[in-house]
Amino acid sequence: MKFEPKIVAFLCNWCSYAGADLAGTSRFQYPPNVRTIRVMCSSRINPAFILGALLEGADGVLVSGCHPGECHYVSGNYMARRRLVLLRRLLEHLGIHPDRFRMSWVSASEGGKFAEVIKEVTEAVRALGPNEIKREQVWMQPGL
Amino acid sequence: MDATRSLREIAREVLSRDDIACLIGYEQGSYGFRVSPCVLTSPDEAERLIFSPLCVHNLTNYLTLENIGPLAAQDLSKGRIAIVVKGCDSRALAVLLAENGIARDRLFVIGVCSPGVVDLKKLERRFPGAVACGRVELQNGAFFITCEGATTSVPAGELLSAKCTRCKTRTPVIYDVLVGEPDQPKADDYADVAAQEATSMKERLSKWRAELSRCIRCYACRNVCPLCYCSDCTLDRLRPQFIRRTVDFQENLMFHVTRAFHLAGRCIDCGECERVCPQDIPLMELNRKLAKDVKELFEYEAGRDPAAKPLFATFRPEDPDEGIL
Repeated sequence: MKFEPKIVAFLCNWCSYAGADLAGTSRFQYPPNVRTIRVMCSSRINPAFILGALLEGADGVLVSGCHPGECHYVSGNYMARRRLVLLRRLLEHLGIHPDRFRMSWVSASEGGKFAEVIKEVTEAVRALGPNEIKREQVWMQPGL
Repeated sequence: MDATRSLREIAREVLSRDDIACLIGYEQGSYGFRVSPCVLTSPDEAERLIFSPLCVHNLTNYLTLENIGPLAAQDLSKGRIAIVVKGCDSRALAVLLAENGIARDRLFVIGVCSPGVVDLKKLERRFPGAVACGRVELQNGAFFITCEGATTSVPAGELLSAKCTRCKTRTPVIYDVLVGEPDQPKADDYADVAAQEATSMKERLSKWRAELSRCIRCYACRNVCPLCYCSDCTLDRLRPQFIRRTVDFQENLMFHVTRAFHLAGRCIDCGECERVCPQDIPLMELNRKLAKDVKELFEYEAGRDPAAKPLFATFRPEDPDEGIL
């Protein structure tokens, strides 16, 4: 069977999630590989979410927030950028390809850009192939 | 005058003062090359203090363990805590102060300009089974090791701990009194990290898969770290449980990425995690990679300035947008 990547996208409530909504209402086509998770701000993202998604079997992770200077909470996306740019470099050092974890800035009016970002991320992950750090011993489903 | 003698003199003076509750320093251990940390309270005990290349521990760890460590038995209401710090230990102190982990006015810092400490694992491999107390001195680029009555000299490079070979700040950044000759701090070139970065991504993944698979998750690296002092640690939490209890590469990867990342912009290169690791996992490689990137991306170095804001408590609008679509 052809490899179809699974992408987990964390979208901020105020910009990127609204951007994704606009992409939908504007009928922009983008790959169906993405699973979105709405968070209130990109700075809500704990680095453990990203590695956790990869361990759980996601082939790629996208974190998307408001453009710098446009954060609903004034500086949340700046804080997120500091942490996540650094995390991306650490994962790369551990041998996890930087294309598996991307960040983007998508505003609420950029439905077209959202579709482009998803296309680009999906194609990059498709080229990488299946995630090689997925959990092997899954003897317990996490308590929900 | 050697460091031990000046240290004892300072300790006698400091411990006879009314505003000092106790002094944390090093004393001769019970066997072999062991040196153990000690807490002194009276000036008569000052003779127990020593300082040599065997004093590997970072004593600042005790400051954040007031309720469970050796300080728990002390009456700290009497006054300040005097503490002996090497260059690297003083940087841990600078981070603690920057984060309000401890108040400066509770401390009396005795800085020692340390020429370097030995790597105990290498030393014990070289002198296996040493039972009687050994002594080590560092003079003119060589270690003079006295063990079982005989003195051997070994070039410093062979036994010096890795953190000391690359150390650029031997002089403590914070001190109230200083032992030894201060020198100017130099900038770290991170040549060791650059060498690892030059390898391919595939090589790095298989290297870390092998290294991290060996981890037995004893948590010694976290416990010994002077800057891992949260009373509620995410590595222990069950809700949310980011790290499952299985000991395999995947969970160990999550453990070590979390541990290293919580030290991003905070690790001060004291090498304690690597020293206590029973599996000899090169943990400092992760910490130093982060330190290098933090310097490159944000022009920030941990433990240089106790007045600087912590890395992740601040931002600059012009921070790099690396890899952001």
